[in-house]
Amino acid sequence: MSVQPHPSALSVTGLTKDYPGVRAVDDVSFAIAKGAVHCLMGENGAGKSTLVKMITGALQPTRGEMSVAGRSHCPKSTQEARDNGIATLFQELNVVDELTVLENLTLGMERSRFGILMNSEVEARAMQTLSVIEPAIDPAARVSSLSVAQKQIVEIARAASSGADVIIMDEPTAALSEREVERLFGVIRRLRDGGVTVIYISHKLEEIFALGDHVTVLRDGRHIRTCPLSEIDGRAHLIELMIGRSVLHDYHPRDTIGQETILVAEGLSNRLLKNVSFDVKKGEIVGFYGLVGAGKTEIARAIFGADKASGRVRFKGREIGGSPKEAIAAGIALVPEERRTQGLFTALTIRENVSVMNLGKLSKGGVFQPHVERAAAEDYVARLRIATHSIDKHVEKLSGGNQQKVVFAKCLFADAELLLLDEPTRGVDVGAKSEIYDIIRNLADAGNAVAVFSSELEEVLGICDRVFLLFDGAVQDEIVNGAEVDVAHILNVVTGGHEGAVQ
Amino acid sequence: MTDLSNHTRSSRHLGARVSDFLRNYYIYFVLVAVVAVLSVANLDQFALFERGNFLNKRNIINILRVSAPLLMLAGAFTLLMVSGYIDLSVGSTMSLSAVIYALLAINGVPFLACFVLTVIAGMGLGAVNGFLVVRLKITPVIATLITLSLFKGIALLLVQDGVSAIKSIGELRMPGWFNDYGRDAVLLGLPMAFWVAVGVTLALIFAQNRTLLGKYAAATGGNPVAARLSGINTNRVVFGLYMLVGAAAALAGIARSSFMSLGDPLSGDGMELSAILVVLIGGTAFSGGEGRVLRSFVGALIIMALTVGMLTLVPAYYQTLVIGAALLAAAASNHLISRKEGMA
Repeated sequence: MSVQPHPSALSVTGLTKDYPGVRAVDDVSFAIAKGAVHCLMGENGAGKSTLVKMITGALQPTRGEMSVAGRSHCPKSTQEARDNGIATLFQELNVVDELTVLENLTLGMERSRFGILMNSEVEARAMQTLSVIEPAIDPAARVSSLSVAQKQIVEIARAASSGADVIIMDEPTAALSEREVERLFGVIRRLRDGGVTVIYISHKLEEIFALGDHVTVLRDGRHIRTCPLSEIDGRAHLIELMIGRSVLHDYHPRDTIGQETILVAEGLSNRLLKNVSFDVKKGEIVGFYGLVGAGKTEIARAIFGADKASGRVRFKGREIGGSPKEAIAAGIALVPEERRTQGLFTALTIRENVSVMNLGKLSKGGVFQPHVERAAAEDYVARLRIATHSIDKHVEKLSGGNQQKVVFAKCLFADAELLLLDEPTRGVDVGAKSEIYDIIRNLADAGNAVAVFSSELEEVLGICDRVFLLFDGAVQDEIVNGAEVDVAHILNVVTGGHEGAVQ
Repeated sequence: MTDLSNHTRSSRHLGARVSDFLRNYYIYFVLVAVVAVLSVANLDQFALFERGNFLNKRNIINILRVSAPLLMLAGAFTLLMVSGYIDLSVGSTMSLSAVIYALLAINGVPFLACFVLTVIAGMGLGAVNGFLVVRLKITPVIATLITLSLFKGIALLLVQDGVSAIKSIGELRMPGWFNDYGRDAVLLGLPMAFWVAVGVTLALIFAQNRTLLGKYAAATGGNPVAARLSGINTNRVVFGLYMLVGAAAALAGIARSSFMSLGDPLSGDGMELSAILVVLIGGTAFSGGEGRVLRSFVGALIIMALTVGMLTLVPAYYQTLVIGAALLAAAASNHLISRKEGMA
């Protein structure tokens, strides 16, 4: 490696990104070979997206260096990264429906003389690129007549013909059917054969094995391994690299689980969910474990009435699911996935956030009672040990962990008997994490039911009494937590190995 | 690393405290400054003011009397903007209400009935806006631009026959009580209309601080997604606020109509700009979530003092320009303050 006859397409050295209190990417170094499909793997929060944002200039690293084809690469903006030959395929498509394929391909690169458009070699190059990677698309067709997959290919062709040497694709198959995925893979392979480097990010392991040449695994912001995929010994090996130490968990069976079933969901189905049925008992902590896109958030939102779903949800014997307002009134609260955009009013104070879900409780004859609100906020700040000197502090100034505790306080103040926790510890530091686990256990011990929706196996096996395994919008298996839990089985089921299916 | 983040935290604290202070109190300084400038300026040549003295009782009464319509609007408009919405049709709602009020009065309906019926009509017009925005999901700016035109059109239709405003219809004349409400001194030399504006403002300050409506408005504007997930029916909140603004615009129309002794279908023209100006000067975030009724009330006083003061200081044709400049200054300071807040 000391002599580099072929400089790598992209390399990063000692790359680090610090946020206040969190190191999202920690001293990462690796190189990506030219003309290969390089897969970037890691759990949620492993640092993939932060890394990609630094490469594409959306974020600037705290420390470390990057180079593209041997030249130093330190983009201050996404435009600068593009000028250096790095293009990104976003999940939202950036094509203009009203224009033709060719017009889209040359958009922003048109040549003109005195303001009049001219034919140019740019067009010829675009046609050439398109005909190589996907001859089936007619350059004269209007983009609005193309399928989602074809539009994606038009975008890829645009990136390639504009001289991008590295194209980053983040979950490009999320919206595609199986046949379209095959077609996209064909395009990606032809691109690679043409010397373009593709950085491919996906949670679907079978795609990685079908497409990838090399793989880099990140975990907790650190670089774990970069190697050819041929050196990876199957699905289980890759998962082990991603998750690390053989999932140590400190679950102790709890004896406070009641007999009374408090929630029954039957045949929940919608755009993403497929016939999901389960039940939750009083005093029980159930987990829903699956990878991104498996349907965790959708189940939580369907129960809460935030999304429409067919099927039935019965809570304490009564049918619910109409609206969040109805769910809250019945005694259900949701801690949403995105704390800042869905859970909190960041411009408001802790006091105002705590009370917002149950303001009615603070009113007497239509008049708001500020002293009751203050007392309640003080009480929850003390009980949940929210680190602040005042309940009048704006929540945007709290750390992630304390913000999350405020969301919990909000739900508790709403007198919820069933808490739906969607990724309850995302973006929370280790200390606050274990405090939140204690809060969850105490809630269950006090007779509340808790449902934890998580993509962290450690979390689910650490606190849940029962776990539903999700894949592709359906419950694939149900396991009872305990010392002899079969982690390999769980990982197999949630990555699409169907052996464990019970339905 | 710990040192670094501590440092950031404390400096951010100071910045936040400064911007909090600015946001909470600058409006009063501005009011004092405007009054001071107008007081020392040489006003000898003006007929409107008592000779050479802005801080003259009659002058102040004059200003407050003509301020009533804007003062009525400021509070409700603030709550609507706090919830993240806007109503460009307030001027037309005001005009149409003024015409309705005058028509009722001229046809012999007694004062109290005219008053109540007009306010109900205003709420109805507000409900139309609410319907377009909440039910039909039309962007607020577009929906209320549509009704701006519609309401004004109806007002003009009601006053046909080649007259520019309703003063009399055939044999029918305005009743004697018609301009008492807007002009007759009832307390401290000020007419009923002014005191109603004060009462409305006090009620809305109470509503903002001590009722669910105020809390829900702040939550809706602060984070609509989180508000819905917290069980708040944001549609109902917004609909209600549009009706509230409609009622306030009707009150403003009644005050203007009574002050001018006629039903003028153009009397509310440009009121939407004044209302936005007042609310922005009061420090309400254009994006919603933040804002105070009281500060907008003070903002309205500033604007009226400036407008009336300018009648005397600068030629009339400069006024619109100065108002525009004031709006620019308000928007810029608003932006600066909120940027300071978001920094670090």
